[in-house]
Amino acid sequence: MFRLLVEKELREIIGTTKFAVTFGVCSVLILLAFYVGARNFQVSQAEYEAARAENIKQMEGLTDWGRIDHRIFLPPQPLTTLVSGISNDIGRTTEMQTQGELRSENSRFNEDPIFAVFRFLDLEFIFSIVMSLFAILFAYDAINGEKERGTLRLSFANPVPRATYILSKLVGAFLALGVPLLIPILIGCVMLPLMGIPMTGSAWGRLAMVVLAGYLYLGVFLTLSVFVSALTEKSSNSFLLLLVIWIFAVLIIPRTAVLISGRAVDVPSIDKVNYDKNRYMAQLWLEDREKMQNYSRENPPSQDGDMQAWMDDFRAFMSELSDVRNEKMSDFGGRLNEERRNRELVQQRLALGIARLSPTSVFSLASTDLSGTSLDLKERYIEAANRYQETYAQFIREKTGSAGGFMFTMRGGQDEEEPPPIDPYELPVFEYEEPSSTTLINDSLFDLGLLVLFNIVFFAGAFVAFLRYDVR
Amino acid sequence: MFATLFEKELKAILLSPKFVATFGVCSLLILLSVFIGVQEYKAGVDQYDTAMQLAEQEVREATSWWGVNNRAYRQPNPMQIFASGVNNDIGRLSNISTWTEVKLQQSAYLDNSLFAVFRFIDFTFIVQVVLSLFAILFTYNAINGERESGTLKLTFSNAVPRGQYMLAKFLGAWVGLVVPLLIPITLALLIVVVLQVPMTGVEWSKLLTLIGVSILYFTFFIMLGLLVSALTKRSTVSFLVLLVVWVLFVLILPRAATMAAGQIIEVPSVAEVESQKDRYRTDRWTAYGEERSAKWRERMEPAEGMNEEERTQFLEERRPQWMQEDDDDRQVMQEEIAEFERKVNEDLRNRKAEQERLAFVLSRFSPSSSYQLATMNLAGTNTTLKTRYEESMKAYRTAFAQFVEAKRIEERKKLMEQQRGQRRVMIFGGGEEALDVSELPRYEAPSHTFPEAFGPSVIDVGLLALFSVICFGGAFVSFLRYDVR
Amino acid sequence: METPRPMLEADGLTKRYEDGNLALDHVSFDVYPGQVYAMLGGNGAGKTTAINLFLNFIEPTDGEARVDGIATHKEPLKAKEKLAYVSENVMLYPNFTALQNLDFFARLGGNTKYSKDDYRQVLLRVGLEEEAHNRRLKGYSKGMRQKCGIAISILKNAPAILLDEPTSGLDPKAAVEFIRLLESLREEGKAILMSTHDIFRAKEVADVVGIMNEGNLVMQRSREELVGEDLEKLYVEYMTGYMDEVA
Repeated sequence: MFRLLVEKELREIIGTTKFAVTFGVCSVLILLAFYVGARNFQVSQAEYEAARAENIKQMEGLTDWGRIDHRIFLPPQPLTTLVSGISNDIGRTTEMQTQGELRSENSRFNEDPIFAVFRFLDLEFIFSIVMSLFAILFAYDAINGEKERGTLRLSFANPVPRATYILSKLVGAFLALGVPLLIPILIGCVMLPLMGIPMTGSAWGRLAMVVLAGYLYLGVFLTLSVFVSALTEKSSNSFLLLLVIWIFAVLIIPRTAVLISGRAVDVPSIDKVNYDKNRYMAQLWLEDREKMQNYSRENPPSQDGDMQAWMDDFRAFMSELSDVRNEKMSDFGGRLNEERRNRELVQQRLALGIARLSPTSVFSLASTDLSGTSLDLKERYIEAANRYQETYAQFIREKTGSAGGFMFTMRGGQDEEEPPPIDPYELPVFEYEEPSSTTLINDSLFDLGLLVLFNIVFFAGAFVAFLRYDVR
Repeated sequence: MFATLFEKELKAILLSPKFVATFGVCSLLILLSVFIGVQEYKAGVDQYDTAMQLAEQEVREATSWWGVNNRAYRQPNPMQIFASGVNNDIGRLSNISTWTEVKLQQSAYLDNSLFAVFRFIDFTFIVQVVLSLFAILFTYNAINGERESGTLKLTFSNAVPRGQYMLAKFLGAWVGLVVPLLIPITLALLIVVVLQVPMTGVEWSKLLTLIGVSILYFTFFIMLGLLVSALTKRSTVSFLVLLVVWVLFVLILPRAATMAAGQIIEVPSVAEVESQKDRYRTDRWTAYGEERSAKWRERMEPAEGMNEEERTQFLEERRPQWMQEDDDDRQVMQEEIAEFERKVNEDLRNRKAEQERLAFVLSRFSPSSSYQLATMNLAGTNTTLKTRYEESMKAYRTAFAQFVEAKRIEERKKLMEQQRGQRRVMIFGGGEEALDVSELPRYEAPSHTFPEAFGPSVIDVGLLALFSVICFGGAFVSFLRYDVR
Repeated sequence: METPRPMLEADGLTKRYEDGNLALDHVSFDVYPGQVYAMLGGNGAGKTTAINLFLNFIEPTDGEARVDGIATHKEPLKAKEKLAYVSENVMLYPNFTALQNLDFFARLGGNTKYSKDDYRQVLLRVGLEEEAHNRRLKGYSKGMRQKCGIAISILKNAPAILLDEPTSGLDPKAAVEFIRLLESLREEGKAILMSTHDIFRAKEVADVVGIMNEGNLVMQRSREELVGEDLEKLYVEYMTGYMDEVA
């Protein structure tokens, strides 16, 4: 019985021109997403390499480690281009300095606003649009359409349990829509290594999880559609209702959620924070200047004595001052940042909490978590940069003997020997490592669970509604 | 006859339960978007005001003109409520100093990445995505639906000319769908007034034009719906076709076009260009340093063999002039650096402009992108927003640099006066008292006049009109041969 | 007495569709004012095609259909002023009430002077109860909608009426009422062309009966000629006879 019903469902969906058309469009879009993602990765990779090479090149021939402009860059990851998340909004370039706060700049959308106009076409976008529309289009009349055609009465003139019927409806629709979609997805996956995308085992695993999330998302809209169609008498009504739900879920709820929480939770503006920091810095500097002024007054270089020795002493004094100052500064800045970060987290939790009313946001959060392009990416990049900063500062300290930051170099009028040029390749290399797949998958578990929950709730709804459905 | 047909069309739309639902949703969304937009704008203004004050405060608190760092901020623009465009994507401020070049940084989305996750919702977005969908929802069965219900036969069993019928269909649908929309739009404008958003006359005219363009865009989708419904026999088919077309127009084509353009025209990345500039700058400064050392050695040659007293005397006499010379040299060098940077930037900008042109040309296959481009141009939140601000900030930087440069020379003269006679005292920073910043030039946001806004959108408005006319023409012609049975 | 001019004339009417199917093969008949002409025939016999040709929904391949002497494919609008039409299973506008539907179509037919009472009277005349007049049509049964359609054709007050399976969807009682209505319209001097499957009703009301098969008018008898004949037998004979021929 169940098999028969599922078979009928499959035949009914796959045999139609509607299916041929929509399946064709969806396949093209999915393939496009893979292709575009792969191309994007190639371009970003090339840009990344070029930027790094140029960064090293511009240091060649310099003689003083204290005068280099060193930048580090966020390398593109294969999954980043498939599920771009916020990767285009955050700064990719970080000006390296031995101390003080690092700031990432040059977000892709800031540098190329052209891409910000229409944004990117990535796998997550295609999935969230295609999967949901696909599901609605084929399941909006699952129950009431059969009633309108009179086939529901006919079917239930036979000894068919309602539970079997509705279950077969869902399973049939899921198979009919999901299995064909695997074709373009698999072709897309084959395309990745062919286009030279270095997919690691972890990346493959996470991509599979993204696809899984996509299927759960498809399931949500399928069960929802069957649910709505079991609640309404006329298929035109259920379609209208589903379309409105779709607009809200895909386009409205996620955006408004964030904007509402933006109004509800106050986060001190970054300008204010920067201002406070600058002010504190200026104050510290003012105090230290006093000390420096006094130093030369209190410890005048001996008239006949060794100028060099005095300079060394002075340098040591300056270095100490600057160390103390920087420590205070980083304490202060750290505190401000943390305060702001905490407020931000509150805001974020509220925003994402509301946004999760929509399965589309849930899917989007799950997939960005999986591909490492969620909001955490920014934090992770900054953390990695901070870790690197320590290595870098250590390196520069070894090279120049100074703590850096306040570079106090004195070029006397005397002839000095021209120092040998530096070798920029000695610089420690910045490696951004994506967190382990376990971490990323763990991050996404909550949202994956929510998707499952949506499925269960809507299925239960459809089930109950259908049990009381008037089949006449 | 025409009046009868028109009236019926109007009634058919207004009486359908579909209308109540969609009209409610649209009104809610339009009002919501404007309300949120106004709130965001106000928050933006607050942030801007504070930031400006803080920047000024910082300048005032500096004690030496050598340490003055100024910042210029991008002013929030009330039009962003309706069409936010790339407003949140490009930087809000630029450092203004004699040492660094102008560069907009710290975009709103960079600072508050949370908002980048699901992006923005504004009036344009609602019109572009939601209203277009609703236009389709109301017109997909305009012709073939009447055929299916048999009313087409009944109607044409009367002496009804097809042309008139079609015209009435279109006008009825248009009035029935557009006029109700004017209600939430008017309410939205009321919100703007009541919440006291400072709108100038120019901005009002831009806004009204924007609403006009929105209606034109909406009209296009009504026409498209009519066309497809006059081309197909069954309403389910026409709906499917329209939905696919909608997905392509609204969601896919614009994105695909820009990405294609990105692939076809390659632009060096910013990181690359920055490094190039760094390289040049470092080279020049190194050269300058070496030159200066050589010069000083040369200058001090006559003092060779003098005793300490004479040496000081010698130095004191000539130092002001020499420092002046050094300053001049430095300024020449800095100008050269600026020139080089300008050239590199211009190269980059030309490439980008080329890419952008291609992207826009390709994307204009979709009326949806035409609409978006037109509204962004009108609102001044298009991609040129960045260059417009950077240009004006550069001009400001020049004024600022001249002013500060003069102040610095003054300051140094004063210091040297004080120092005269003292021996070997290190100078860290300037005087004790705060700087007098009252004469400091202030940054004025670039103006964006109506012709400037409307000029670039003429082509898009024209395209929208053209698309609509083509669709209507197509619908008309195909209806003349439509099989009413 | 001079014979009146026929109101509806089919003159060698031929229709061959693009797919080559010959739907109507040189069919000629006349319908005079005050006459009811019933076209009988199976599905696909060409009855609806003939009506569509009178309405100029399709162009004739050969011959012409004339209304009051006006060739419909030459001056369709002028011809249609003289035609009222009732189609099979018309849905009408589901979101309009019966009165609204009537008003719209009456205006389309060029009658702008009707009042609400006129509409109500016509609706009562076709057997639609008062309480239904202000209800939306989406709640109507098939028969009620059909009555509405008939009311629309009466309101047009045209000299010729085309009826395409008018009794389909009507219950027996309503069908009888409909026949009475046709008779009264005939009294008013209307020329009525009706296609139908319903042999009994056709015999009851028709002044002339034509039997169509595979695009040909295979038999045409007046009421007088049919007296004493078993129409049903004739019908089956003509149909099977044709079948035999084909075989």
